[in-house]
Amino acid sequence: MKLKSALLAATLAVFAGAASAEEFPSGSVDYIIPFGPGGESDITARFQQPFFEKLYGEQMVVNYQPGGGGAVGWSQLNNMAGDGSVIMGINLPHIIIKPKQGDVGFQTEDLAAVYMFHYTPDAIVVTADSPYLTLQDLIDDAKANPKQVIFSGSGKGTANHLAQVQFDEMAGMESTYVSFKGTGASVTALLGKQVKAAWGYTTVGAAQGDKVRLLAVAMEDRHPAFPDVPTFRELGYDMVSGAYRGIAVPNSASEEVRTQVSDAIKAINADPDFQKQMLDGGFALVDVGYGAEMDAFISDKAEGYLNAARSAGIIE
Amino acid sequence: MLEFIIGALSPLNLLLALLGVAAGTIIGSIPGLTATMAVAVLVPLTFTMSADSALILMGAIYTGAIYGGAYAAILLNTPGTPSAIATTFDGYPMAKRGDGDLAVSVACISSVIGGLVGALALLFLAPPLAEAALAFGPVEYFWLAVFGLSLIAALSTGDFLKGVIGACFGLLLAMIGISETSAEVRFTFGSNVLLGGVETVSALIGLYCIPVLIDLVATPDRHLKAPEQTRGFRLPEAFGLLLKNKINVMRSSVIGTMVGALPGAGGSIAGLVAYSEARRTNKGKPPYGEGNPGGIIATESANNATVGGGFIPTLVLGIPGTPPDAVILGALLVQGVRTGPSLFADGANIVYTFIFGLLLATVLMLPVGLMIGRFAYGAIVRAPKAALVPIVAFMTVIGTFAIRNSLSDIAIMIVLGIVGWVAGKRGFSVSPIVLGLILGRIAEQGFVQSWTIGDAIGNLWGQFFGRPLSMAIIALTLLTFFYPFLPRLKQLVSKSTVTPADERERASKPAILRDLLGLLIAGGIALLALQQSAGLNPEAAVFPRTIAMAMAVVVGLALLRLVATRHVTEFAVEGSWIRMTALPLVMLGAVFLFPVLGFGPTAVLLGLVLTVVAQHDRFSLKNWAILLLSVTAVIVACTLLFSEVLSVPLP
Repeated sequence: MKLKSALLAATLAVFAGAASAEEFPSGSVDYIIPFGPGGESDITARFQQPFFEKLYGEQMVVNYQPGGGGAVGWSQLNNMAGDGSVIMGINLPHIIIKPKQGDVGFQTEDLAAVYMFHYTPDAIVVTADSPYLTLQDLIDDAKANPKQVIFSGSGKGTANHLAQVQFDEMAGMESTYVSFKGTGASVTALLGKQVKAAWGYTTVGAAQGDKVRLLAVAMEDRHPAFPDVPTFRELGYDMVSGAYRGIAVPNSASEEVRTQVSDAIKAINADPDFQKQMLDGGFALVDVGYGAEMDAFISDKAEGYLNAARSAGIIE
Repeated sequence: MLEFIIGALSPLNLLLALLGVAAGTIIGSIPGLTATMAVAVLVPLTFTMSADSALILMGAIYTGAIYGGAYAAILLNTPGTPSAIATTFDGYPMAKRGDGDLAVSVACISSVIGGLVGALALLFLAPPLAEAALAFGPVEYFWLAVFGLSLIAALSTGDFLKGVIGACFGLLLAMIGISETSAEVRFTFGSNVLLGGVETVSALIGLYCIPVLIDLVATPDRHLKAPEQTRGFRLPEAFGLLLKNKINVMRSSVIGTMVGALPGAGGSIAGLVAYSEARRTNKGKPPYGEGNPGGIIATESANNATVGGGFIPTLVLGIPGTPPDAVILGALLVQGVRTGPSLFADGANIVYTFIFGLLLATVLMLPVGLMIGRFAYGAIVRAPKAALVPIVAFMTVIGTFAIRNSLSDIAIMIVLGIVGWVAGKRGFSVSPIVLGLILGRIAEQGFVQSWTIGDAIGNLWGQFFGRPLSMAIIALTLLTFFYPFLPRLKQLVSKSTVTPADERERASKPAILRDLLGLLIAGGIALLALQQSAGLNPEAAVFPRTIAMAMAVVVGLALLRLVATRHVTEFAVEGSWIRMTALPLVMLGAVFLFPVLGFGPTAVLLGLVLTVVAQHDRFSLKNWAILLLSVTAVIVACTLLFSEVLSVPLP
């Protein structure tokens, strides 16, 4: 474990008085994804990898510690070295909702979040030949036939699921949500007509091209890759939501290390080539840096997620 | 087309295909290193390559890894990858009787044929097959999992009820951790160790490999019967067997392609389904499960066919067919290649170059696989026990760690190994437990999803039983399930006077007490699961509760039968108890030492202690030195391979 090196580093720091200003990165950086390979957390990390190496001339090694929907990795983060050699991916709403669902080995505030770099906006996706041409078509059908409009989505207590709960409340309708393991399985069910629509992400639209139609996206402005798709706000539903991804460091990390990591991710986000790759993939960039900005962001998001989770009966 | 063939045959691509297959085969043969990991490790390397070369390399390593899983299955009774589970059923008995070389050759040829069928389907039938796969909904996945479970009847060594109890136990094990369907924490008993659930691959290693190791140290007998002289590859025999099994190999390859094309099903299910079908139609001797090469042919052709089959939804729909495909999809995305509906239209040259590259890699698997296979067989047969045990034990430990970089997974693996060994001796064979573990989550997800949909449309019955595809799978399931009982049913019909098997001798009192204890523990597990399900929300509780009830009922039946017939299925324990207990305890001790001493020193220490535990022969001082040095060297080399080449963050 990295525990030993963390203890060692801590002892050294105590004996050396104040640690002198460290260069970041001082060597290769372990970037741990608390999910398996192949998911969006992995893909976006892989997008960042070459840019990190281009900017800093050091390796960024992507590792996986899957289990418990991210909980296994997050519950171990604070035992790792806080010298900037280890960073870990974090995901909203996961880190907000999971600790409220039972003892998952960490609390939201245990995680030292230093940067939020993108989000995958929620979107309602239907097949190209679906009778729903607009969002209103779907709402009308759901109001006429309660529970009959069946959505697929990835997981319970996830961005997809909470979006379904929030939207049902806003539109005053009752739909059914069927949880699948991952976006791939959810989209398969949609394409195979097992369900009528999917609560998915803009990335589904990017991957599926003209096989699917997005009815609306939960963004502040329209996504550049889908100029014809309205936002929920345009249609009168105040929804800006999705799966946010960012970076955390072990809580033993000094303020300096936290700021350095935050700045490094910010620099990657500022690279136009990186931005283009992300947007082409259907992602949307955000820039929330370490400090008061981050605290405000997380507490604001937490409120919305927790309210939705309570009405969905996922948490007490 | 010709230009793509030439593209695939460029010197660089040829070399990549060759290297990929060789590396994949070696990685797949190490229990714990799966095809997914092999591909994931390569991803950063592919950033600097052209997209078609990257794809060919990843496809080659993937197909090699799926085949490599057969070595460990045949020689150590441990599936190197989950796809090779059913290879153990007949592969290990063949190796035990001295036919390991033949088994490896048969596995290699079958893998090549299956791989070619899958890749050709990808070449010619991808769009229609992708459309067909979409007809498979949650209900069909549920019934497919049930179909897989119907193999229990066949895999229970001599005691069907105990097989069902074992499968229920496996299903319950699969429920541990955070539920996929309701996101609730289940059956963790408040410990964070179980939060991530029981990792399937590490459970496989524990349940299959640790019992083999315990039995190995127990007695001085040889691990596998050694052939009198080297017999080469025994290719004529192997090809003869494949000719005899030509229907089997074609049917299994088609099954593998189809199951591979179902997103999320994968090689393990394809292998089990193909095995089950081959077994049902087998007329020859020996029976399946006792070393019939047909079992290897079915499993190995099916699981390599899933490689080509899995690329069908990956490339046509942009939805990964298998876990390695998910990684490959991600790598392509980083490259700027967008798979999915537009790829076949816009990026056709990449797609076709890749498919020919995959075909090429599959053909190269024949010479490469035979060579590596021969080496692996020779090494395992000739190695003295005192070297084999520590090295294999070390491999199980490092392989398990590498899956999720988790030390607690190693502990779970060893504990499951002890459970597997005890259960096996008590007549609860390991395979039904594994079946439950592999199929549990798929069955549960399909069940809960179908329930939700059926409830919404107000037609539960129609949702579960009314769909044509489901009906076909249900019919096959019933056929497979009742097939093993057919002889007895025939007897009943023809009123023959053959004494039924139940009239076997009555067991001694201690044996009955032992059996009673075993069944009571199983019953206790069922009751515990029921008690734990009580506090969960309905979605999380419905499946485990149903399974636990079934388990309790079957335990009750088994108890009644025990009282009525006084008949006990158990396997005698032979050899030294001290050595048998020492092996898992030493391994568990190592888990606690890793964080203290670091990985390398602990691993070497573990190896040296186990050398002593496994050593029955008298060695001279010189031979001792050679033995200890070579064990140390192998462990150090492997540790370096993992930490440096595969960049596994060892503690």
